[in-house]
Amino acid sequence: MTAYYAQLLANGIFAGSVYAMFAVGLAMVYAVFKFINFSHGELITWGAYLALMFCSPPFSLPLYLAAVPALAITVVLALAQDYLVYRPLRQSNPIAILIASIGLSYLMRNAVRLFWGSDLRTYELPLSEGLVIMGIYITKTQILIMAAALVFFVILYLLLTRTMLGKSLRAVSDNMELADIMGIDMKKVTITIWVLAAVFAGAGGILVALDTSMEPMLGMNSLIKAFAAVLLGGAGNIWGALLGGMFIGIAENLGMAFISPDYKDFIAFAVIIILLLFKPKGIFGIAGGVR
Amino acid sequence: MDYLYHILIVCLIYAVFAQSLNLELGYAGLYNFGHIAFFGIGAYTSALLSLSGVPVLLAMGIGACLAALAGAIFSLPALRLSGDYFGVATFVFAEMAHLFFLNQRDLTGGPMGLPNIPRPGFTGSGVESLPYFLAFVLGGALVTWAVLQRITVSPFGRALKVIREDEFVAQALGKHTFGFKTQAIVVGSFFAGSAGALWAHYITYISPSDFSLQETILVLLCVVLGGKGTNWGPVLGAFAVVFFGEFVRFIPIPPEYTRFVAPAQGMAYGLILILMMLKRPQGIIPEGRRSRKC
Repeated sequence: MTAYYAQLLANGIFAGSVYAMFAVGLAMVYAVFKFINFSHGELITWGAYLALMFCSPPFSLPLYLAAVPALAITVVLALAQDYLVYRPLRQSNPIAILIASIGLSYLMRNAVRLFWGSDLRTYELPLSEGLVIMGIYITKTQILIMAAALVFFVILYLLLTRTMLGKSLRAVSDNMELADIMGIDMKKVTITIWVLAAVFAGAGGILVALDTSMEPMLGMNSLIKAFAAVLLGGAGNIWGALLGGMFIGIAENLGMAFISPDYKDFIAFAVIIILLLFKPKGIFGIAGGVR
Repeated sequence: MDYLYHILIVCLIYAVFAQSLNLELGYAGLYNFGHIAFFGIGAYTSALLSLSGVPVLLAMGIGACLAALAGAIFSLPALRLSGDYFGVATFVFAEMAHLFFLNQRDLTGGPMGLPNIPRPGFTGSGVESLPYFLAFVLGGALVTWAVLQRITVSPFGRALKVIREDEFVAQALGKHTFGFKTQAIVVGSFFAGSAGALWAHYITYISPSDFSLQETILVLLCVVLGGKGTNWGPVLGAFAVVFFGEFVRFIPIPPEYTRFVAPAQGMAYGLILILMMLKRPQGIIPEGRRSRKC
């Protein structure tokens, strides 16, 4: 029986590291631009589908090579989003930017349906045998997910704490206007944020699709988990979002021991509702759930 | 002619639904992205009750009241959040409701939905009932419009606008903002539930896919396109959106391209939302005020 729970815990950690990747991107955008990017989920979907495109004819690249142009295009998409929609709206009503992000999300999701259809798709890789470590089954994909998430988070940590760029990112998220007055290059910061968010989302999308499958709602479903993680971590708190993502993944998988798998997604929702009731500022929340 | 009746009925149901969202989004400034959940609660409640023998009108009333109750219960935790996070909470609530409709098979029929929902007795059923049903829906829409008009020009409506513009000012003026917002959500949910009940009894078949994110986008589009914070705006928006949707059916498209129609239509809706926000955030009918802040 312990092996069963250990298995669920392991699955939870793998799911959680991907949720954490999504949540970190969402939290970063929130920290700097102070709005919730509903179209973040579509960066996830596009990352996964673009990798599929470069995997299949006429490109027929192996997946690890296909991921490179896929991520590059995801980054371009994120920058285009910002340039065409979010930047012109930055000074306007907060509701305008939210509605625009919902519209953008819907536009991009339907574009996925237009290009690739609504069916479940996979990368059609040969099945690989799982490993058994202390009675826990782990697939190679899951190890890859773990390794990729670790690498990404270490790079992010080093970037934020060890470089001048990271310092300016943190300054901007603390107070955008003041940072601007102090001569921080806002353009560079904006681009960096979107590049990071898009790479995290796209890479996470590819990993999720590799582990299970992809469909146009992939991003939207993952985004809800990321929302829960960000709420858990507190507004715009990047490391809080990371821990929040891990927590949601583990809670969701351990919860399957107690409730029907049909309601697996309910656990993330329940976390959100309970938090809203008791801790509206998040568990790791610094002061400032109010925008 | 029957087709015209059909379009008008759908337009009016959407008009009621869009107006109920407008009270929250346009007047109170609450970013409700999950309004479809209350529409669904009204529809399922009314359908289930009437299928088990309750008279249709009573079932619809109970459906609307249950939606209002759900709104009240939902608003207690959700209103502790401000701005964006309220939007996320509503969005998540709608997804929860959708999952519930989908998975609670013993109650809602799961993905198969609920067929054979009766029409109200006085309209009869089938095609010949359409004019009567239209009159019924028109009555409902007029009542909704009149009630919301009355509410929004009252001091209550003005208080909601102050809360939208600056919540701290409203508090400083001694307004109990939490109470006002709760009431706005309850009234909005009530009318959303009524619209859902009308929908269920008109279409006579509901399934969880009628209450998904897609419909949230549509109703949001109705409100934003028409003009939020006005009473005619959402009505106009509803007519524009429904007529556009029906118009697309008549574009001659070769059969091999028909699978592209729905995604392209969705892309168009998303694009219109973005363009409205960029170019004309006040909608077709702008809200009348002496000065615009933004």
